[in-house]
Amino acid sequence: MDLFWQQLINGLSLGALYALIAVGYTVVYGIVQLINFAHGEIFMVGAFGAFATWVVLGSPKQLSWQAAIFGVLPAMILGGMIASVAVALLTERLAYRPLRDAPRLAPLITAIGISVFLQEFVRLFFGDIPGMPDSKRAIPFPTITGISGEAWHLGNVTIQLSSVFTIGALAICTVFLWFYVNRTKTGRAMIATSQDPSTARLMGINVDRVIMSAFAVGAALAAVAGVAHGLRYGNIDFRMGFLAGLKAFTAAVLGGIGNINGAVVGGLVLGVVESMATTFIPGQFGSPAWKDVWAFVLLILVLVFRPQGLLGSKGVDRA
Amino acid sequence: MKFLDSLSIPREKLAAFQLPAHIAGTVAALLGIASLVFPWSYSHVALDDVAYAGAPSALQFNYLGLAIFVAVLFAVPLVVRKPGKLRDAVAWNTGAKFGGIGLFVVGLVAVLAIGLETGGLVNVDPGGWIVLVAGILALVAGLVLDPSPAPSMGKFKTPRVVQILAIALGLGAVLMAAAFALSLDGAGAFLFYLVFAGVLALTLVRTGVFGWLAQCAADNKQVLVLAAFVAAFVFPFTQNGSEANMSIATQVLIFSATALGLNIVVGLVGLLDLGYIAFLGAGAFTAATLSGSVYAATNWHPPFIVTVLISGTVASILGLIIGTPTLRVSGDYLAIVTLAFGEIFRITMNNLDGTDGPRITNGSNGINNVPELSLLGFNFGAPHTLLGVEIGRFANYFWLMLVVLAVIMVVFVNLNRSRIGRGWVAIREDELAAEAMGVNTFGLKILAFAGGAFLAGLAGAVKAHHDVSVTPDQYVFLESAFLLAAVVLGGMGTVLGVLVGATILKLLPEKLRFFSDYRLLLFGLLLVFMMRFRPEGLIADERRQLEFHAEDEELAEEVEEDLINYHDHYNPDALVKEELK
Amino acid sequence: MTAVAATPEASAASAPSVLLDAKNVTMQFGGLRAVNDVSMEVKSGEIIGLIGPNGAGKTTFFNCLTGQYKPTAGSVIFDGQPLPPKPRRVVNAGMARTFQNIRLFHNMTALENVMVGRYCRTKSNALDAVFRLPRHRREEREATERSLELLAFVGLEKQADTLSRNLPYGDQRRLEIARALATDPKLLLLDEPTAGMNPQETREAEDLIFRIRDLGLAVLVIEHDMRFIFNLCDRVYCLVRGEVLVSGPGEVVQNDQRVIEAYIGQPAVMDEGNADA
Repeated sequence: MDLFWQQLINGLSLGALYALIAVGYTVVYGIVQLINFAHGEIFMVGAFGAFATWVVLGSPKQLSWQAAIFGVLPAMILGGMIASVAVALLTERLAYRPLRDAPRLAPLITAIGISVFLQEFVRLFFGDIPGMPDSKRAIPFPTITGISGEAWHLGNVTIQLSSVFTIGALAICTVFLWFYVNRTKTGRAMIATSQDPSTARLMGINVDRVIMSAFAVGAALAAVAGVAHGLRYGNIDFRMGFLAGLKAFTAAVLGGIGNINGAVVGGLVLGVVESMATTFIPGQFGSPAWKDVWAFVLLILVLVFRPQGLLGSKGVDRA
Repeated sequence: MKFLDSLSIPREKLAAFQLPAHIAGTVAALLGIASLVFPWSYSHVALDDVAYAGAPSALQFNYLGLAIFVAVLFAVPLVVRKPGKLRDAVAWNTGAKFGGIGLFVVGLVAVLAIGLETGGLVNVDPGGWIVLVAGILALVAGLVLDPSPAPSMGKFKTPRVVQILAIALGLGAVLMAAAFALSLDGAGAFLFYLVFAGVLALTLVRTGVFGWLAQCAADNKQVLVLAAFVAAFVFPFTQNGSEANMSIATQVLIFSATALGLNIVVGLVGLLDLGYIAFLGAGAFTAATLSGSVYAATNWHPPFIVTVLISGTVASILGLIIGTPTLRVSGDYLAIVTLAFGEIFRITMNNLDGTDGPRITNGSNGINNVPELSLLGFNFGAPHTLLGVEIGRFANYFWLMLVVLAVIMVVFVNLNRSRIGRGWVAIREDELAAEAMGVNTFGLKILAFAGGAFLAGLAGAVKAHHDVSVTPDQYVFLESAFLLAAVVLGGMGTVLGVLVGATILKLLPEKLRFFSDYRLLLFGLLLVFMMRFRPEGLIADERRQLEFHAEDEELAEEVEEDLINYHDHYNPDALVKEELK
Repeated sequence: MTAVAATPEASAASAPSVLLDAKNVTMQFGGLRAVNDVSMEVKSGEIIGLIGPNGAGKTTFFNCLTGQYKPTAGSVIFDGQPLPPKPRRVVNAGMARTFQNIRLFHNMTALENVMVGRYCRTKSNALDAVFRLPRHRREEREATERSLELLAFVGLEKQADTLSRNLPYGDQRRLEIARALATDPKLLLLDEPTAGMNPQETREAEDLIFRIRDLGLAVLVIEHDMRFIFNLCDRVYCLVRGEVLVSGPGEVVQNDQRVIEAYIGQPAVMDEGNADA
């Protein structure tokens, strides 16, 4: 039974990470019906941005936990957000916007191109920025005193503080997001645009701005996820966005693409399924080497049996 | 053209300068010819050794040909002032315009290549500078020129013999150019040649000569196809047993065949398949397992014909498993599900190593020592001597791949020109209307997807033997993106386009070693730029072009005219229409 | 031009039999009942009109018949068989339609558009096509012949090689009808076939529909142009707020007080071309 609780905690924290990224897919898809393949790379850029901020701060190491958690960590998150939001807005403005009326294949192919380009760009040129380490291999992520390596013990169940950070970040972000979408003018404009872009435009909504805010919101959350990833695994590398992006997309589909709550639920469910699979599937196929396969099998099963996702009711037929 | 129009000065102001521009352009081209009297650089390492005065290297001879051609384009309107058959047949001015710009680009590349390869522009000798000056002058003259009206050459009635001769000469030129390009060693030389070939082709297109060639080709389709295969078949004889070049050429063919299969899915139906390389991998692993290699999981070793079919079938079954649930939902999901499938495939192949799963693939070590193919007693691994030329291992595989490529081409073209092809176009244009007109949209999509997977499986089976070893890391997502780049660059929905795209993309990293680290970065960028500026690819399928430029009325008129001129070369079968008339 | 041979099934039936029998069809979207308890009977060789103010549910009813929507309640019997709720199967069963906002394949030629309509009546598969087997050649020839005939029937024989997007508006409407006819329908559903046409073109359309009827087909037309409808139709159904208000021969419906009220009650009465939500 302890094992079950342990895996549930592990799954939830992993799922929280997926959920933070998945929101970006879902928000953008809800408004422009575009699968932004490059979103995984936005997440990676966020992590590198946070790392760069830490270096700019002078690579502080031996800090008190107060200074680390209330000084360095927020600064890193902010730096990561600036990097990821800037890159996301640039791609939207330069690559996607000119293709808004093009056949659907065009923005999809563009997204693949951007994804490959961003990965390679970070691999080749991040190390050329003065003070930054070579990015061709994994870079150790800074340790945050009070979080990294710390854990709570409840009976035989161990809870890493990095997991607590991820789940907490998801909770806070979800609340913020709810307020943003339901209680601000831009948020309501987003809902309107996702339901009917041309009418929204007629009603005086600046659709370009709405789309940009969708990209920005997604990117900001992805940056938080980037920091969480760094704390959880202790290192970051230019490839990290590919698999994480795929998983997050799976989570978005699982929850019902276009539905923000769905992305959160989908992420958590996917995380739990993945960690349970490695524990409770007997034999060789239960080894950790297969966990990614089970996640994608889940994606295909969802598409067969409930293509609108767990929380989705409509929107699928618009695709 | 539009880009050029946007940057040049209002046309009316340039009317007075037409004559000076012709003169200047002619002088510039002559200057370019004169540059060959001088060395371009005193260092022997630049390009293919351009240090000898008055003894041009091979590349310089190419440049000479281009310069003479451009000189003629600029000069003829000076001599032939009155409109007439000769004057109207060729778009002299448009050709000269692009030739002039091209001369500049080629000159610039030459000087830059010399500078980079010799460690500084100080190593450029007078000849090189003359080339650059001639280029700048030609560029200015070209920009000033007014484009000429559409050439009439394409509509000439040409005797059959001349047409066939033209096709033969054209293909011969392509063959020689390909052999020459492969023989170039330096990166600068290769790049120079590539730019040169591009400029020459573009200028020929703009003068209207291509229009005429296209007419010849359209009138003699069977001859063209036959001749192209003969040319490709002869290719190994031009290599004098150079195994390295034949290896590259074979890889180009494997890559082209796979990309062509992908083009059925992406280009004809408009489905984005990002796991295509995994189907190639499925074919390769299946064939390797059945090859009788000591590392294979089974000892069963059927004849190759059987192996090929099993490989294709395995790949297409995987395609069905992935496609059936996904294609019911939406095309968008297909992209991401195939991406996920690519990952599943890679991980699974890595895991079937005996520790994490049953031992089938030996994990990341893969299946090694795949034996050479042996077909009807013919051993593909052994060199043979044919007509006095030693034909090595790679040449054997080259020929085999040529057959596979031909099969895929026939499938591509014949499906496209059938009710199935029409159904695919209808799905691309308006899926709902297609369904409402009784088209089985789901079935046709599945057919394309699983059929494409089958063809990839075929190619994979040959690739397994060609590569000798099959490992999971050969079949990763980035390779799928690479294939997609070839399709997008060459042209969605065309055979020739994909062959061109695949050849360029495969040759570049082979020949430009310095470039290999930036390969993927540039391919990513290439995808973005192609979608933004020329989504239909270098060699466009006309219908695809229309879809990507929905507002372009002029283009629609042009395409329609072509349709009538060439008796519509796609649907419905031209033969059938002939019979009806 | 050559007359188009009537479909054998339709001409064989000497006495007019009930071709389409829709009973109590209801279509509910969430809280909105777009079509409520509509029953309709169409006999072969009849021309039936479907009128009603904007938003009355005419197009929704069409979509229920042609399988785009699955009705929430009610049944549709076509040619003695219940209709399968799939557009493709409906076409196979012998019912074809045109769209209110023309949905041609714009980058295909007129001939190719019509040949797409032949798709469901041809059978050659991938192997036939790849190996150019006799079945493919025969069907391709027959499909081309038949499509050219149909183009001539609607008066577009000269435009066979024209891209449909380059055709004038009226020709696009006629091409859409030719494409629907290519599926060998027994019943043709026309959704506002004269929207946006001038009087001359409207008369031509009228003539075309009569000629289609003369082939032995039944026709069901949605229209806003009253003169057109009452000239053309044997019977007319008037739909208001998803329900059949009146049905019967043209004169009866035309003079029915309730129909006049239904239209006058709506300010946008007979403005044609408005979207039918």
